[in-house]
Amino acid sequence: MFKYIVKRLLIFIPTLFAISLLTFVISINAPGDPVETMLNQNVGGDGMSGEKLANEQTYIDKRHELGFDLPLFYFSFTNATFPDTLHRIPKKAHRENLQRMSYEYGEWNNVSAYYHSLRAFEDEIFTIEINDKTSSDLRKIKDAISVLYINYDSDKTESTIQNIEFDLFKNKKIKKYGAKKYYDFLNAYTHMNLYKSSTNRYIPKLVWYGLENQYHRWIWAFVQGDFGISFKDKRPVSSKVFDALKWSMILSVLSIIMAYLVAIPLGVRSAVDKGKWSEKLITTGLFLLYSLPNFWVATMLIRYLGDGNGIGWFPTFGLGSLPATAPYWDRFFETGYHLVLPLFCLTYASFAFISRQMRGGMLNVLEMDYIRTARAKGLKEKVVIWKHAFRNSLIPIITLFASIFPLAISGSFVIEIIFSIPGMGKLTLEAIFARDYPIVFTVLMFTAMLTLVGNLVADVLYAYVDPRISFSNKK
Amino acid sequence: MGLLNIFSRRKAAEQEIIDMAGNRESFTGNENESYWTIVKKQFKKNKIAVWSLRIVYVFVFIALLADFLANEKPIAAKYQGEVYFPVFKEYAVDLGISDWQKEFINVSWKDLDYEWEVWPLTPYLPKNIDFMNTSVGPFDEQDIESTRWKHWLGTDALGRDVFAGMIHGTRIALLVGIVSMGIAALIGIFFGAIAGYYGDDKLKMRISTLVIYIIGFIVALFYGFGVRSYALSDSIGESFSDFFLELLISFFIFGAIMYAFKLISKGLKKLPFLTKEVVVPADILISRLIEVVVSIPRLFLIISIAAVVAKPSIFIVMMIIGLTTWTGIARFTRAELLRVRNLEYIEAANALGYKELRIIIKHALPNALSPVLISIAFGIASAILIESTLSFIGVGVPAETITWGSLLSASRQDSTAWWLAIFPGFAIFITVTVYNLIGEGLTDAMNPKLKK
Repeated sequence: MFKYIVKRLLIFIPTLFAISLLTFVISINAPGDPVETMLNQNVGGDGMSGEKLANEQTYIDKRHELGFDLPLFYFSFTNATFPDTLHRIPKKAHRENLQRMSYEYGEWNNVSAYYHSLRAFEDEIFTIEINDKTSSDLRKIKDAISVLYINYDSDKTESTIQNIEFDLFKNKKIKKYGAKKYYDFLNAYTHMNLYKSSTNRYIPKLVWYGLENQYHRWIWAFVQGDFGISFKDKRPVSSKVFDALKWSMILSVLSIIMAYLVAIPLGVRSAVDKGKWSEKLITTGLFLLYSLPNFWVATMLIRYLGDGNGIGWFPTFGLGSLPATAPYWDRFFETGYHLVLPLFCLTYASFAFISRQMRGGMLNVLEMDYIRTARAKGLKEKVVIWKHAFRNSLIPIITLFASIFPLAISGSFVIEIIFSIPGMGKLTLEAIFARDYPIVFTVLMFTAMLTLVGNLVADVLYAYVDPRISFSNKK
Repeated sequence: MGLLNIFSRRKAAEQEIIDMAGNRESFTGNENESYWTIVKKQFKKNKIAVWSLRIVYVFVFIALLADFLANEKPIAAKYQGEVYFPVFKEYAVDLGISDWQKEFINVSWKDLDYEWEVWPLTPYLPKNIDFMNTSVGPFDEQDIESTRWKHWLGTDALGRDVFAGMIHGTRIALLVGIVSMGIAALIGIFFGAIAGYYGDDKLKMRISTLVIYIIGFIVALFYGFGVRSYALSDSIGESFSDFFLELLISFFIFGAIMYAFKLISKGLKKLPFLTKEVVVPADILISRLIEVVVSIPRLFLIISIAAVVAKPSIFIVMMIIGLTTWTGIARFTRAELLRVRNLEYIEAANALGYKELRIIIKHALPNALSPVLISIAFGIASAILIESTLSFIGVGVPAETITWGSLLSASRQDSTAWWLAIFPGFAIFITVTVYNLIGEGLTDAMNPKLKK
């Protein structure tokens, strides 16, 4: 048994590795620049060159601090146009565009030269003093440059460059300062255009980056228990997730316990009474409950029982607003009162599911020969059902417990959102909308681990309940 | 049981194999019915399941005829002396065979002066906005010209007709169920069949073949998908048909390269080195893959992917649901094939020297189909539930696509609009229940214990 558990725990490692890769892939493809998200609160505005430079420096520093200037993974397997030094370029939007340009033009060195000459030209433009004469032309040029940064279409690039040239030479002062860098830029552009080819994109290329990469950095910190900080409010992810996990756990555990308490006797009853009209009623009712979408039930409960526009029996929002100084029991009952409706929504579905399973298991067992034997030797019906049949039909129910647990956590997702309960579901959804990926990562990894552990616990319990199952035989 | 004898009667043996597999082709004798006939008979005995199936037919009917049931254009009309069929015409225009006449471009169909016209059941599209009637209920007084224009199930806060939304929502709901389960079934049956049929011992290969296949797989992935990643991601933004076409091209390239490498591996067999045979533990590999996918919390994953996609679309939601729900089908197929693969008729087919692909598809898989069917029925129910959950919380489904879930979520903002809460919720409930009931019915019908 011990050997079996160790073996299963070892299997966790590749599984968790695969899941971490998946979440990592999701996050790097996510739209939005995490560094910008993080800086948004304190840095803003553009215009003067000094401010622009300072902003860029903060961006670069922050990016370095977060490790986003590292390569993504241990190696990259791409086509030959893929820029191997791309991760050094700040701004995610620029990076994405440059990668695309490299693909379109086929030679990263040329594209890189183009990009750097464009930056040099932009810096030059930003040093030109803004006054009545220059301001409108400068603005046009700056806008055009920012278009060039995020555009890979050759026709559009061509026309934008023509516009820049027009504005540049129209104004003497701008021409005097900017022309040299402009010609450098134009040279780089023509060079890039001249050597445009599409053969490179069909040549595979493998680059080895080593341990200094974003994935390694993240997973290593994760293994050591450092989940990073939230991009949004800079709180540690661990404290945010554990706060939320607390509420999700309370909801799931309570709902599972309640569901079992009702479901088991009901399932047994309906199996024993098979064929009676009461049994048919229960089975149909359970089936309907099982198919009821819980967000619909929640919406209806809020509408008709809630305090907003229904008859006002139950609160429908949050967990109550008593201050932390209020007596413990007052707060306890206040919170409990707020949890009635969400708990109901969470419970009814799993309760219907469990009792249906219980009924099925019980029906199977009741058909067995040893039950007939037990009846034949004159045991009381009660003893037959509860002592002989019930114990054996518990097996599938016990395994259900472990698999229901992670289900309950993600099942509370929608309910938490509807009732505004600060649990994992609400946290994750808000994190997704705010592009706060450290939180999404951590939640995904945690729920995956819970699921794995749940499955393991189920299997171990299974063997415990049913002595016929032995893992040592299973090679 | 002389194998040589079987060889001599190839054709007859094949018939026997099919019969042993319990396939559709039945015995001529009247006592032995084929497996599927029995299943059908059992299913028909289950009144509730049969009625559920009929309700599904009704939904399919509504979904197919949605354009004729709720549309801003009349089905037929006589206008300026000529008879038109605008709804049919729209299909033609969409297909690119025909163009609108000048007088119909940018017109309000409602205000045209027809000599006579036949309107659909409700003369609105889900997107049409009726400024005069915002948030009116079915029993409220509506500001309309005649009952022809009545909003039978009310309108939402913008003045969009709920009945029209419900009808076109049926189409989306059914499409989500079918497309996502279609994807899931393809992937699930593929992996399940390989894992189940080959197990851990049957997939033997020379080292040279294995190496060639692995290289071929990487190369095929590179040219099929890696190089074409921009073409693929660009086409998602365009339209679903463009994306589908690009995807087909990618798969074609992938398949062609794999085939080329297969030929290479055949050629390499003549070489004297790397001839040692190794056993590929297909079952372990695929079971591990299934375990990985299963242990990722599905709703979390779907919501994260749906939120990450640059341009939300209902088809992407379908694909994500399909790509994450195939594990159930794969497990069932695997379990069934593990059972079937040691049966005599498969051994016989092997002895006859049939190709393995043929044995799997023609002889082994038909036997495994019944649990897959059950799993698909339940899967459709859960896919519809997932999609409506997503549109209810507003993730992944674009705001302008009106689904049952998005109608239901509108009721949260509009606290007096009971009609927004009741009708879409009830539709979701009925659809999910009906598919679950069909799944139950199939389970009962296929349960061998009940077979007399």
